[in-house]
Amino acid sequence: MDLIAFIFYIFAAITVASGVMVIAARNPVHSVFFLILAFFNSAGLFVLLGAEFVAMILVIVYVGAVAVLFLFVVMMLDINFTELRQGFLQYLPVGALIGLVLFTELVLVVGSWTILPGASTAITAPASAAGTVAISNTHALGQLIYTHYAYPFQVAGLILLVAMIGAIVLTLRQRTGVRRQSIAAQIARTRATAIEVRQVKPGQGI
Amino acid sequence: MAETGVWTAYGLPLAIIVLQIFAILVPILLSVAFLTYFDRKIWAMMALRRGPNVVGPFGLLQPFADALKMLTKETIIPAGANKVVFLLAPMVTMTLSMVAWAVIPFADGWVLANINVGVLYLFAISSLGVYGIIMAGWSSNSKYPFLGGLRSAAQMVSYEVSIGFVIITVLLCVGSLNLSDIVRAQEKVWFAIPLFPMFVVFFISALAETNRPPFDLPEAEAELVAGYQVEYSSMSWGLFMLGEYANMILMSALTTILFLGGWLSPIPFAPFTMLGPFWFILKIVVLLFVFGWVKATVPRYRYDQLMRLGWKVFLPLSLVWVVLTAGVLVTFGWLPTTH
Amino acid sequence: MPSVLLDQIAPAAPEVLLAVGSLVLLMIGAFRGNGATRLVAWLAVALLSLALYVVVDMPGETRVTFSGMFVTDRFGIFMKVLVLIGAIFAIPLSLDFARREGMERFELPVVMTLATVGMLMMISANDLISLYVGLELQSLSLYVLASFKRDSERATEAGLKYFVLGALSSGMLLYGASLIYGFTGSTAFPAIGAMLAQGTGGASIGLVIGIVFLVAGLAFKVSAVPFHMWTPDVYEGAPTPVTAFFAVAPKVAAMALFVRALVTPFGAIAGEWQQIIIFVAIASMVLGSVAAILQTNIKRLMAYSSIGHVGFALVGLAAANVQGVQGILIYMATYVAVNIGTFAVILSMRGPDGMMERIEDLAGLSRTRPLVAFVLAIFMFSLAGIPPMAGFFAKFYVFAAAIDAHLYALSVIGVLASVVGAYYYLRIVKIMYFDEPVVAFEPAPKGFAAVLAVSGVLTLGFVFVASPLVALAATAAKSLIPG
Repeated sequence: MDLIAFIFYIFAAITVASGVMVIAARNPVHSVFFLILAFFNSAGLFVLLGAEFVAMILVIVYVGAVAVLFLFVVMMLDINFTELRQGFLQYLPVGALIGLVLFTELVLVVGSWTILPGASTAITAPASAAGTVAISNTHALGQLIYTHYAYPFQVAGLILLVAMIGAIVLTLRQRTGVRRQSIAAQIARTRATAIEVRQVKPGQGI
Repeated sequence: MAETGVWTAYGLPLAIIVLQIFAILVPILLSVAFLTYFDRKIWAMMALRRGPNVVGPFGLLQPFADALKMLTKETIIPAGANKVVFLLAPMVTMTLSMVAWAVIPFADGWVLANINVGVLYLFAISSLGVYGIIMAGWSSNSKYPFLGGLRSAAQMVSYEVSIGFVIITVLLCVGSLNLSDIVRAQEKVWFAIPLFPMFVVFFISALAETNRPPFDLPEAEAELVAGYQVEYSSMSWGLFMLGEYANMILMSALTTILFLGGWLSPIPFAPFTMLGPFWFILKIVVLLFVFGWVKATVPRYRYDQLMRLGWKVFLPLSLVWVVLTAGVLVTFGWLPTTH
Repeated sequence: MPSVLLDQIAPAAPEVLLAVGSLVLLMIGAFRGNGATRLVAWLAVALLSLALYVVVDMPGETRVTFSGMFVTDRFGIFMKVLVLIGAIFAIPLSLDFARREGMERFELPVVMTLATVGMLMMISANDLISLYVGLELQSLSLYVLASFKRDSERATEAGLKYFVLGALSSGMLLYGASLIYGFTGSTAFPAIGAMLAQGTGGASIGLVIGIVFLVAGLAFKVSAVPFHMWTPDVYEGAPTPVTAFFAVAPKVAAMALFVRALVTPFGAIAGEWQQIIIFVAIASMVLGSVAAILQTNIKRLMAYSSIGHVGFALVGLAAANVQGVQGILIYMATYVAVNIGTFAVILSMRGPDGMMERIEDLAGLSRTRPLVAFVLAIFMFSLAGIPPMAGFFAKFYVFAAAIDAHLYALSVIGVLASVVGAYYYLRIVKIMYFDEPVVAFEPAPKGFAAVLAVSGVLTLGFVFVASPLVALAATAAKSLIPG
């Protein structure tokens, strides 16, 4: 068997299996761990595609930052699992129905799919050729994002700004009566303002 | 016939790669062992003590005695612990500190995997380091480890942000994410000189990223009685220890590559430039000394101070520096030209 | 070099101006604190007015920029003017309310401005990607605005509901967009249009499913049935000035996006999506009219009213011709004028115990406040579509377009729905004029009278401004559907 194909199937199988475990795991923390495993293996799949930049960013952003915060929250949550399961069974028929409809649609869609001759090679060529062609895919991505997609890129920045403003507006509460550390005041202290030598008479105190 | 084809196609390269891996890992594990000794000696000397001096000449065999001791102790798994995760945690820490070495160039061309996105790979691996600690903290099912795990998660995420920006500043000056390219770009001047503030920020963030003093809050023995390590014993604890020291070496190596010119010789003529790996290791050792120095002399940060430093000092500073560097490079036409 | 850059940016000048301006406002607010709320708000109004001037001053021809992702044409300019007017009125209306209800924070006008940027981007979207980013910028700002009064349980609930359902609809929209991309090979509207125009035998089933999901996502944003469930709860729960903003600006923007995203790329296969729009229009008109009858809260009533009006406007889209688009433009123009006025009245319903929101609270308004009652009556007549008012002409144009496109059943149902709808609008008039007054409202803050007067005069005197508006709408519609 082709080595690349073999590795692909390993990554793909682990991704799918851990994807299933994300929903099936009884413990939510385990779910998050499986989610991380799934992210990690998808990064492996990206590497196989020759998209090493996306792969690394996936690990850095999703595994290194998003999932950590996610784990942080899940670990602190106090969830009643039996209650959750009951709800699950209650909504199972509806969920299954929607899933079935979507699945049928997908079958219809994929069944009717006609692919342009040569389209598949046209799609994979730039990525898989990254190692051989002089231009690396980081370079190629940069050239696209900052020229052709400059507009959505900038707007994405604005969206993140709004998200940040929103988070601050909706959650930040200025608590009063809290003594805060003032670094500047601490540094500004001198010997003269901090220490005072007094003559204390015995038996009297200050 | 077919078998020999498979052998030459996959078997032989695989065997070579395995040998290369051993050629990197064995010295590193040895250095980790001696680093513990080195660290204790520095610490002792700064406190006007002798440090380990009983086992072997100058106490040099102390690390091996320690290893033997750890291996012969009992591995205790607390009854309430989540067994699988509990055992996985130290392995994760140890493995991550090892796999990162695949992309480190010891000299021109001396690298196991010379990948295009080497810096990102290292950044990704170092950002995964937090999982070992979180897993340990959570699976121990006990208060202090859990607090240690939470602290560690928040701390590492915070300092990664500024590390990311520092790396971006360096990348702006290099124009490549390949670690060997980054070193070669410093042939004229090491980046530690023009980017000195970023060098400092990076080194301090590296301290935080490796949970070394003064940022060792996840294990803060004074408040959390060793934090996430509380429930661990014998070799499962030893793996954490090894992982932490291996990470120190790794971060020193990364600092060397990004700011101190990697394998480049400070004396730029013939006999000295031949000694690439020597310079590389020397620079790492100097940085490791600073790690030990800091541990011996600086008091531990309080948690809010740690967060303040990360978010309110380093983040704005590194952001400003990114903009400044980019501005200077564009204004003077110094942008690196690749391809 | 710089001139090339300027040429690139020029068509998006109002958006760039607003985006940069809102950052400046944010800085002012961040450094001056919440005490600067009024200053920031009035600066935001000035900024929006400046943007309005820039929009009006734009050359009318169709210009494309940012690699074809952004388009400005007469259709866009018309809609942008409406959105900006809505935003310009909504911000000052919020000031007094914010002060009294303890939500006076400088972020309110800033987020409103950023939401407006998103709306302008939606109107100018010429690509599935720019459609999505514009929409997200607007939606995210609106989620924040909905729960801006964060100590109120109703407002937080409204924001959360809006957010969860909005995220779901964004997901559907993206799913549809990815299918469309997969089956046409492009995300650019003109490219998709060209590809479908030269294609033979209509659309593939994958594309149709993609369009269905896209329409579902967009229908959510304009709150058309069956994706309207969030509307009454969000309108009721959100702080009233925010509701006023919701009812005016985003509706116009989402409607513009709806029209452009269907007409430009999928104009060639109108037959495939017309039936969906017809169904959505009928359902919205009927539900908007019937469900509103039972409401006792005036904000909920306005929510159902807006659902109904979206249905009427969609009749124009169902026609899928130039007259239809022209009808939508006129409809949205009158809708904005009337809704600003109506919400100004609702905002002035302040009794001794704070804001009043029940319809019965309006009882006897003709005696306590004859002028306000008169103006509100005009608005209600207009919303009901009674002849000399603006609403009548708006309905007239969309139904004329529908009949032009031989959609007789749709028109008949529409007219019937508007008759049913007239009942609850007229009920408000009846309550104001024939019921005994219960409480007297506190005097409305300064400036409300001006808003009411402008809005009232426009609604009542629509006949006099009708011909230039209709002509403008006609050229605007032609810029979208040439020929």
